[in-house]
Amino acid sequence: MTEETITIENKTGIHARPASIFVQTATKFKSKVQIKAKGKTVDAKSILMIMSMGLVKGTEITICADGPDEAEAVKALRDLVASKFGEE
Amino acid sequence: MSEKIQGKGVIAGIAVGRIMLAGQNIDGYLVNYKPADTETEKKKAQDALDAVAEKLQKNIEMLKSKEMLEQAAIMEAHRMLAQDPAMGELIMTKTEELGNAPAAVLKAAEENAAIFESMDDEIFRGRAVDIRDVGKRIAKYILGVKEPELGEDKVVLCGQEIEPSVIAGLPTEKIAGVILGAGSTTCHAVIIAKARAIPTVVGVGDAIDKVADEDPVIVDGETGEILIRPSEEERAGYNEKIQKQQELKAHYAELAALPAVTTDGVRVELMANIGSHMDIDNAKSYGCEGVGLFRSEFVFMGRQDIPTEEDQFKAYKEAVEKCEGKTCVIRTMDIGGDKPLPYLNIPPEENPFLGYRAVRISLQRRDLFMPQIKAILRAGVYGKAAIMVPMVINVSEFKRVKAFIEEAKMELVHEGKEYSDKVEVGIMVETPAAAVMTPVLAKYVDFFSIGTNDLVQYTLAVDRGNASISYLYNHFNPAVLQLIYKTITSARENGIWAGMCGEMASDPNAAVLLLGMGISELSMSAPSIPRVKEKIRSISSLKAKEVLADVLKMEDGDEIKAYLQKVL
Repeated sequence: MTEETITIENKTGIHARPASIFVQTATKFKSKVQIKAKGKTVDAKSILMIMSMGLVKGTEITICADGPDEAEAVKALRDLVASKFGEE
Repeated sequence: MSEKIQGKGVIAGIAVGRIMLAGQNIDGYLVNYKPADTETEKKKAQDALDAVAEKLQKNIEMLKSKEMLEQAAIMEAHRMLAQDPAMGELIMTKTEELGNAPAAVLKAAEENAAIFESMDDEIFRGRAVDIRDVGKRIAKYILGVKEPELGEDKVVLCGQEIEPSVIAGLPTEKIAGVILGAGSTTCHAVIIAKARAIPTVVGVGDAIDKVADEDPVIVDGETGEILIRPSEEERAGYNEKIQKQQELKAHYAELAALPAVTTDGVRVELMANIGSHMDIDNAKSYGCEGVGLFRSEFVFMGRQDIPTEEDQFKAYKEAVEKCEGKTCVIRTMDIGGDKPLPYLNIPPEENPFLGYRAVRISLQRRDLFMPQIKAILRAGVYGKAAIMVPMVINVSEFKRVKAFIEEAKMELVHEGKEYSDKVEVGIMVETPAAAVMTPVLAKYVDFFSIGTNDLVQYTLAVDRGNASISYLYNHFNPAVLQLIYKTITSARENGIWAGMCGEMASDPNAAVLLLGMGISELSMSAPSIPRVKEKIRSISSLKAKEVLADVLKMEDGDEIKAYLQKVL
């Protein structure tokens, strides 16, 4: 299992468009991908679960992946969050 | 025989086509559905999820190939919901529980939608509709309910509510218009129709039951008029209207980008009157420069309790943001006994227009007024908001409003909420008393906005709803003109601005007179803006002053009206 912790920096947090991009990216990988935040763990491939977490700017999240491409999955998602989804 | 029904036009344009009933009620199918054993039901649900996702994918590609990216994004969100693992899991659990695949899908969608509906953020709440839409689509697939089929003719989609996917899934050139029974102008269906400029009428209510599949129909998206089974003559009349409209539209589109300035360089701001923040995008397409009258009533109506500060803040903030730095004048609650609200508890009055209404209520009902003032002050952070107080008749009322505002600011400081200190506070000059007292009021207010609908009615003692005396209702009546002139002059002498937000502002000939008087802003329903702008751009301020001088010598309103028609 690979995991990495990062803080959400983009203004709108992970909802609406960023949430779609996040889930689309997670879905590309075979590994089981999860997000831990605010004491909860949810499936990173579910837009419903992700959006219901209320991941606003400043929230610290841990991305964990378990499976054949776990390292790539965590890296791709971490990079995506770090890129602020192309927002300010 | 043709039949007319009336709704609210939200997207202008005339549509001619045949009715296609959409958004059909699937309850009937559900009742007759005979579920198989649980395993088969689970398989049916899974197959439906896959099939719907695939169909949506095809739609997305079709939309992308046509550069309809906004709609493609909405459909993309739907596709993701259809393939969402959490949604899938919940559907399976519910199928085991209920032993009925379509019912389970609807239940799962409803539960998820309810979670989103309870969220604080408006964007999230909007997603609830999408979740229900996807659920319905999947259920329909299992039930074997056909999606609307297209023939040769253009169709007018008609339904109490129409799922956004139904509109997005049809090619634009096949949809002539949209009719919705429900009154919402904020639903995705309307947004998609707007993006495609499909003439749309909403809020038809139960009258929608008069419409049958395949009925020929004409829809006027501007007036909100719907003509079912029109006669040959009616069709011919509309064809002419369509042609004229297309020519005008092209002409107005050119005008929208140009400023309202006279031939000798005097600038007048043309703004829009709106009923909700959703009207602004449409208003901008007509070239409005901000909002001169945001009727806040819609925030108060259609609900059982007083709207909270947060509810109001969200609506005002969105309006202010959409004005993009231009002024957004928000009128505080203008309701009285004529529009009874459950939480206002106003007993029936003999004469509600001269009764307990507007600022008279606001000043007595702190529970109503304080949240509104605070919400506007907070929205001011996001652009240029202004507060306009209706029905003022004397200086002391305005002073009390100002005291309220100071108190609201103190409360906001105390609560640690951000607000703007630059929010202008003005009054609507709509009572003769206020107009006469403008030289005094001007020392206290930041602006005047003349509300002619009531000013004419109160000055002339003419109820404009009364047909037998409608000939007396004339905004060119010299008594009315004198009051307007006095108001504008008082403003100029005291260095504040004066505008107008009544219907008179949308009369191009009146605009010339007001220009001559020195008005700086005219606010009107957006579709009137191009006509007024055209008139202003065709005349010099010098000529306007000459016309005004002539008019001020005249003794009769009808004479003035006729004179203006002749010389302008």
